[in-house]
Amino acid sequence: MKKLVTLVLLLVIVGATWLFIPKKAEQASNKPGMERLVLTGSSTVAPLAAEIGRRFEALHSNVRVDVQTGGSSRGINDVRSGLADIGMASRALKENESGLFSFTIATDGIGMIVNRANPVTALDRQQIIDIYTGKITDWQAVGGNADPITVVNKAEGHSTLELFLHHFDLQNSAVKAHVIIGDNQQGIKTVAGNPDAIGYVSIGSAEYEAQHDAAIKLLPLDGVAASVENVQNGAFPLARPLNLVTRSEPAGIIKAFIEFARSRQVDDLVMAQYFVPVAH
Amino acid sequence: MSKDFLATVMIWLTALLISGFFLYLLTDMLIHGLDRLSWAYLLDAPLDAGRSGGIAPIVTATAILVLIAIIVAAPLGLATAVLLTEFTRQKSHFGRFVERSLDVLASVPSIIFGLFGNAFFCLFLGLGFSLLSGGLTLACMALPILIRSAVEGLRSAPDEYRLAAAALGMTRGAALLHLLLPTAAPALAAGLMLGIGRAGAETAALIFTSGYVDRMPESWFDSGRALSVHIYDLAMNVPGGDASAHAAALVLVLLLFTINSIAMGLTRRWQRGRIHSL
Repeated sequence: MKKLVTLVLLLVIVGATWLFIPKKAEQASNKPGMERLVLTGSSTVAPLAAEIGRRFEALHSNVRVDVQTGGSSRGINDVRSGLADIGMASRALKENESGLFSFTIATDGIGMIVNRANPVTALDRQQIIDIYTGKITDWQAVGGNADPITVVNKAEGHSTLELFLHHFDLQNSAVKAHVIIGDNQQGIKTVAGNPDAIGYVSIGSAEYEAQHDAAIKLLPLDGVAASVENVQNGAFPLARPLNLVTRSEPAGIIKAFIEFARSRQVDDLVMAQYFVPVAH
Repeated sequence: MSKDFLATVMIWLTALLISGFFLYLLTDMLIHGLDRLSWAYLLDAPLDAGRSGGIAPIVTATAILVLIAIIVAAPLGLATAVLLTEFTRQKSHFGRFVERSLDVLASVPSIIFGLFGNAFFCLFLGLGFSLLSGGLTLACMALPILIRSAVEGLRSAPDEYRLAAAALGMTRGAALLHLLLPTAAPALAAGLMLGIGRAGAETAALIFTSGYVDRMPESWFDSGRALSVHIYDLAMNVPGGDASAHAAALVLVLLLFTINSIAMGLTRRWQRGRIHSL
C-alpha cells in the first residue's frame, strides 16, 4: 500500500514537472517585447555570427541573438525543422536544398597546408588526388623527404570536406585518411605538430597562424598562391561563401539581422575573423 | 636488498613522474595564460570571439550549470545509494541490476549524454538550448559517479554500527543520519567532488545542450557557454585564441582546485563534529 502511494506520488511529481517546464520555457523566450533569434550551424561561421550578433544586440536592445554551433548540415536541418531561425552554412546551398534562401555574409578560401619543415613547395592536382586516395604514400614521390605521408582529412558534416572533395572530384569513401579532424585550428595544430602531415583548412586562419609562428605553410593551388588577397580578387579556385540560410523569405527581425550582417557596418568583424567581406 | 632498493626507486620514480606531469601541465598553462589573466579578464564579457575581453558570463554559466547538476543529482544519488546499501540485499537481483546499470552508465562517453540531452531535454521537453538542459544532462552524467562513491562509503561503515544502533533501539533513519552518513562523509564528499569535476570539465555533453552563447545568462532558460566549451572553441576553432584558451583553462583548474579544497575541509569538520560528539 505504502509503495503504491509512493509510486503514485512520484508519477504525479514527474507529470507536474513535465507539464510545468515547457510552459515556463515558452514564457521565458517570449518575454513581452523581447525577440530571440536562434542561429545554428557551421563552426566556421559561428564565431563571426556571434560577434555580429553582439553588435546587433547593442543596436536593438529588445533582441537576443543566440548562436549555436555544430556544422553546416546541422544548420540546414535546424532551419528546415524550425529549430533555428537562421542557419549558418560555410558553403553554397546544394541542389536538394532548394526552397531555402541563402545570403552570403563573407567569403573564405580553402588551402592545402603542410608542415613548414617540408621541402615540398607545390603539388599539382593529380598529386593531391593521389595522396588523398593512397596512391602516393611517401613524400619522396612528390619531391620531398623519404617519409610516409600523414593524410589529414575533415570529419563528415563539415562543408570544408565537401568543397575539397568536390574540387578534386573525390568520394569521401575513396580517401585514405590517417587523421580525421573537426575544426580549422585542430587541422592547423595537427599539421604543425607532424612534419609529414598534409591537410586543408581555411586560408584566413592558416595565413594568420603561419604569420604567428605556427609551423605550417600554405601550398599554391592550380598555380595560384593561397592568400586572402587571391580569395578576395576571385583568382583562387577553391573558395566558398559563408552563408546565412532561412526557410522562407526573411521578414521582420530576421531580415534586419541579415541585412545588418551583409552591411558595411560589420566589415571589420568579418576581417577580424580572417574572412573576406562581401562586395557592397 | 637490491630488490627492495629497486622497488623503492620505482615507486619514487612513479610518484615523481605523476607530480612532474602535473607541474608541467600547470607551468605550461601559467606560462601561456598568465599574461591574459587579470581581474578585468574575470569580470568582463568576451570580445572578438574570445580573443580579447574576459570570461565573466562564461564562469557564471559554468557555475549555474554545475549548481543545477549537483542540486538535482546529489539528493537522487544519495537516496539511491541508501536504498542500495541499507534497504536492499547486495545479492538481490534488483540490487545487482541497478549496480550493473550504473556501471554501464558511468562508462558511457559524454557525447552520448550530449545527444541524449539534446533529444530529451532540448527537443522533447522543449527546454531548447538552455542552462537547465545542460545542467540536467550533467546531472545524468554525474549520477552514476555520485551513487557509486556513496555506495562504497556506506558499505565501508562497519556492520557493528548498524547492529549497535539496532540494539540501542535507534530507528534505521536515525542510525543513518547520526552514524552511517557521517562515517561515509569522506566518500560522499569525494564522490561529490568527482561529480563536480566531471560536470565542470565537460565539453561534449554541453555543446549541444547548454550551447555556445557567450552573453551573460539572464535566466536558466538562457543558453550559456561553459568554460570547457569556451576553451575548446578558442583552441580549436578561433585563430589566435590560444592565449585566451590557456587563461580560461587556468581559471577552470583553479576553480576546481578551490572547490576541492573547500569540500575536503568541510567534510573533515563535519565528520569530526558528528562522530566525536556521540
